[in-house]
Amino acid sequence: MPLSLSDPAWYPIASSDDLPFRHVYQGQLLGRELAVWRADDGNVNVWENRCLHRGVRLSIGINEGQELKCQYHGWRYANRSAGCTYIPAHPADAPARRIENRKYPVREAFGLIWSAANDDQPFAPFEGSEGHNWFALRPMPVAATPDDVVAGLMRLAPDDQPADILPNLAVKLGSAIFFVQPVDADRSVIRGLLPEKPADEITALRHYNEMLSKLRDRLERAAAKKPAPKPLEPTYEKVSVELSTMPDIAVPRGNTLNVVVKRKWQSGDGVIGFELADRDGKHLPTFQPGAHIDVHLPNGLVRQYSITNGPGDLLSYVIGVKQEGASKGGSKVLVETVREGDVLAISEPRNNFPLRRDATRTLLIAGGIGITPLLSMARFLDKSSLPYELHYFVRSGDTVAFQSELEVLHGSVDTHVGLGRELVKAKVTELLGPYQFANHVYICGPGSMLEMVQETATALGWPDEAIHFEYFQNTKPVDASSAFDVELARSAMTLHVPAGKTILETMRDNGLTVASSCEQGACGTCLTGVIEGEVDHQDVYLNKTEKASNTCIMTCVSRAKGERLVLDI
Amino acid sequence: MITLYDFELSGNCYKLRLLMSILDLSYDIVPVDYFPGRENRADWFLRLNPFGQLPVLKDDDLVLADSGAILAYLAKKYDPSGQWFPDDPAVTAEVLRWHGVADGITGSSAAARLALSYGHDYDIPRAQREAHRIFRLMDEHLWFGEKQGRDWLCSPAHPTTADIACFPYVMLSEEGGIARQDYPALRRWTDRVRRVPGFVVMSGIFPAGRALS
Ligand code: FES
Repeated sequence: MPLSLSDPAWYPIASSDDLPFRHVYQGQLLGRELAVWRADDGNVNVWENRCLHRGVRLSIGINEGQELKCQYHGWRYANRSAGCTYIPAHPADAPARRIENRKYPVREAFGLIWSAANDDQPFAPFEGSEGHNWFALRPMPVAATPDDVVAGLMRLAPDDQPADILPNLAVKLGSAIFFVQPVDADRSVIRGLLPEKPADEITALRHYNEMLSKLRDRLERAAAKKPAPKPLEPTYEKVSVELSTMPDIAVPRGNTLNVVVKRKWQSGDGVIGFELADRDGKHLPTFQPGAHIDVHLPNGLVRQYSITNGPGDLLSYVIGVKQEGASKGGSKVLVETVREGDVLAISEPRNNFPLRRDATRTLLIAGGIGITPLLSMARFLDKSSLPYELHYFVRSGDTVAFQSELEVLHGSVDTHVGLGRELVKAKVTELLGPYQFANHVYICGPGSMLEMVQETATALGWPDEAIHFEYFQNTKPVDASSAFDVELARSAMTLHVPAGKTILETMRDNGLTVASSCEQGACGTCLTGVIEGEVDHQDVYLNKTEKASNTCIMTCVSRAKGERLVLDI
Repeated sequence: MITLYDFELSGNCYKLRLLMSILDLSYDIVPVDYFPGRENRADWFLRLNPFGQLPVLKDDDLVLADSGAILAYLAKKYDPSGQWFPDDPAVTAEVLRWHGVADGITGSSAAARLALSYGHDYDIPRAQREAHRIFRLMDEHLWFGEKQGRDWLCSPAHPTTADIACFPYVMLSEEGGIARQDYPALRRWTDRVRRVPGFVVMSGIFPAGRALS
């Protein structure tokens, strides 16, 4: 029977023992090469054995526990989703969205790892599998066709005890079952199982190993005399051009997904942790360190919260919510009315705060709830054994959020408690030091602190590109008193923006659909290109250089200085 | 003072750089242009080693050739722990046996690599077949070793020069067109070797990720 590339049957492709932690196993099924690896959370990944970007085999990659790193070029793929989390040398070090390696279905059962060419059939245990404590034999690769190997196994049966042929290239010989893994048209692996662990394991393993070695030698001698069948020719899926091109700064809003609040807890004074998981227990989309999700609140508001997770940790997202004064409608609703078991809609993760992993020095400075994106960054750096310093400024000792998560980090983590304004500034000055090449600082916290750190860094000679920040909200007063015209170049429309109305609102009033999220100039969603006219920037999203370039605008708060703006929309 | 006559891309020279790095020895390097310059055939080199083979190691006035022999020398002289080339006669025999296997790997895997990448005139299919024969045996040896709690080629609970001698041309086999897909236990062993403290890389041989602590 000729092998089919699309055969949906499940075959064993490895033994459980083949996958120790931090190792990448190289497998093959029906001509497709596979990189198979166990993440630190126990999850087994079966992926196409190619780095999507350069085509290098992933089985020579480094298993870092939650991510697999392509050894030659440094691309990284996350546990579970196979999503790319890092492209070296990209200006923002951010991957195009949703680049995922090809994944294959996987099950670990009976001491073996099983996979199939596609998802067409659910995994089903083999007949008679229940009620035994299956014991895996040493696998035996054979350079012969799977059919010939099955026939060879059948002939091992004594005359009075003929072998049973089972579905999917399996043979039952006495109480032992031998599965033939169709590696390719001309190659197989015999994977045997005994129904119970033998009393003397080594002797039993040696016995079967000798028997199968002899069979292999016979089969290979016979195969050498026959014309070899043509190997299967799987097509290797390349990344589409659209996906492999780099994303714009503002990523359009993706689909929302529903998640269930799995856990809600108090983490430090005034910070409530929320663990959000897929309702069916599936993994959530890949995210990058520093990424956030939009959370759609029961009262109709949408708010951004940073994901605190480490790399490849995709079974739930953990966010931290600051219990603010009554004015903060968003957080208040989450803290007061959302309970464990409730379902929330969230966006796919987006990243406005990309982390470089080629720095010689990485300084992370957090104020209060600003710890959340920096915790995620620290976890990524930690897993990659890259050095970093995390400094966490809090008002008092019991306001430390995510304390236990911080304690297990290996980098240098310092908490600074209850320092006054001047002392914070002095400390930050000392931490930053004069700028040196390939140093990067990341800041997240309250507006006043962000500005102080940025100013201090600039004064010490740090260039804009080395100062990375994320605001949680824009607390600056917005001056909406101007009135002007906007020409929408691509939509061929001219609109008048009156005082008291934003560009975004005006566009919406005129029937345009435009993306927004925070509507306070903090999240980056509404970023639009500017073709002509001078922008009156009022956001906290763009950095000084970007603002000075006069090529982009946050339409939710910013306005025109003159009478007219031409936008690329 | 130790001097290594070295060709950067030679697995046999790398064996010595690897052990000297593990033992934290300092040494000088005299680069020998083995390819494309064929400097190993030059008169000055043949006076050092009439066999015309790299590596050669000079320790003060002592001149030594053959990577396996030099590994044993370095370990016996400079490894105070005595682990890398143990004194126990039975273990010495084991280590020397694997040094012999290492020569077989050089004669097959490295030969195929030289033929494919350096234009040497060898019978490539024959060299590849022989490498596969050796790798099969090594994989079986290492697989049963894992089942019996042995991580290395020889019986002690730590690596020896045997592991260093066999390692480079196993790692470089793909350059000779010899895939290691069929040898999962051999692949796991190469991860363990790459985690030995003091491990250094060479072109084509990368470090493994950190072990789970
Ligand atoms: S919508 Fe968030 S910056 Fe404009």
